[in-house]
Amino acid sequence: MARAGGAYSRVIAWLKILLPLAALALLSTLFLLSDSRDTLENVPFADALNQGDVATPGVSAPYYSGMTDDGELLTMTARRARPLAGGDIETDMLEARVHLSDGSTLTLNAQMAQVSDSDNALTLGGGVTIQSSQGYVLQTDAMITRTDRVEGETEGHVTGTGPLGTLDAGRMKIVPANENGAVQMHFTDGVKLVYQPPEKDDTP
Amino acid sequence: QQVAFGGMQQDTRAPVEVTADSLSVNQADGTAMYSGNVVIAQGDMRLAAPRVLVVYSEQASSIQRLEATGGVTLVSGEEAAEAERADYDIEAGTVVMSGDVLLTQGTSALTAQRMTVNLETGTAEMGGRVKTVLQPSGGE
Repeated sequence: MARAGGAYSRVIAWLKILLPLAALALLSTLFLLSDSRDTLENVPFADALNQGDVATPGVSAPYYSGMTDDGELLTMTARRARPLAGGDIETDMLEARVHLSDGSTLTLNAQMAQVSDSDNALTLGGGVTIQSSQGYVLQTDAMITRTDRVEGETEGHVTGTGPLGTLDAGRMKIVPANENGAVQMHFTDGVKLVYQPPEKDDTP
Repeated sequence: QQVAFGGMQQDTRAPVEVTADSLSVNQADGTAMYSGNVVIAQGDMRLAAPRVLVVYSEQASSIQRLEATGGVTLVSGEEAAEAERADYDIEAGTVVMSGDVLLTQGTSALTAQRMTVNLETGTAEMGGRVKTVLQPSGGE
């Protein structure tokens, strides 16, 4: 069927050529007019990578729970844990909680701690707070405890409050429950307790 | 026999200070045993003993009494008393000493089996074969 003549179809024919050309022209100016955007130089990488030290592998908010030899539950949580050479694990903001078989609990909080599974030892440093359900809240700067039984020893001076007053001692050892008694807390190297008797309202 | 002891009234609400070589706290029932030349001090009263056991009152919010054993010396003001054992009841403010008690007051000495010192009134009550040794004043 021949092409219909007439002005309308001529205009359409010309448009079919002109419009694509216009589109091409528009497209090409697009890249000319755009401002020169710099490429990948300052894409914001983590600055730790820039200094070249690869972000150390670590676990955040680790949780460890285990049973000691004589059946006491030990749980440990921390803010962050990093493996060290030699199989030790270094954590910060550690909280270790021991639930003793007789129902009482001991809680140790430390700024910095090092767990070494090889000799089942836990070295707490940077300020340690020891809380016992008997009401003792003690502070010391460093402490070594074992993870396979309830035993620990502060390395230096320990001060704090007991259920009956302020207490400070040269050293404190947590001794595991042996046959004749429960877990003991031994304060040695000089102990001083200041006890304030309660005001008796019914004075005789 | 009623004897003055410690001279003046003793404030039994003054803070009690216990110093010792070592202290061991039993985690289960919370009893505390001081050992190694223990000195209990309150006001000007000093009680020295090799071993002191702390006995808590029921609600464990206060110390009911301290049991000092193994040869005890109690010094208050210028009087001194020695005995085998002493129970210092903080709430009642009394020290009960038992076991060949020897009380020295200035030049005179009294021995007995039991002595109850009331810190509040500053008096001591001695019982059990009280023997008084008066030292004549040397007749200068």
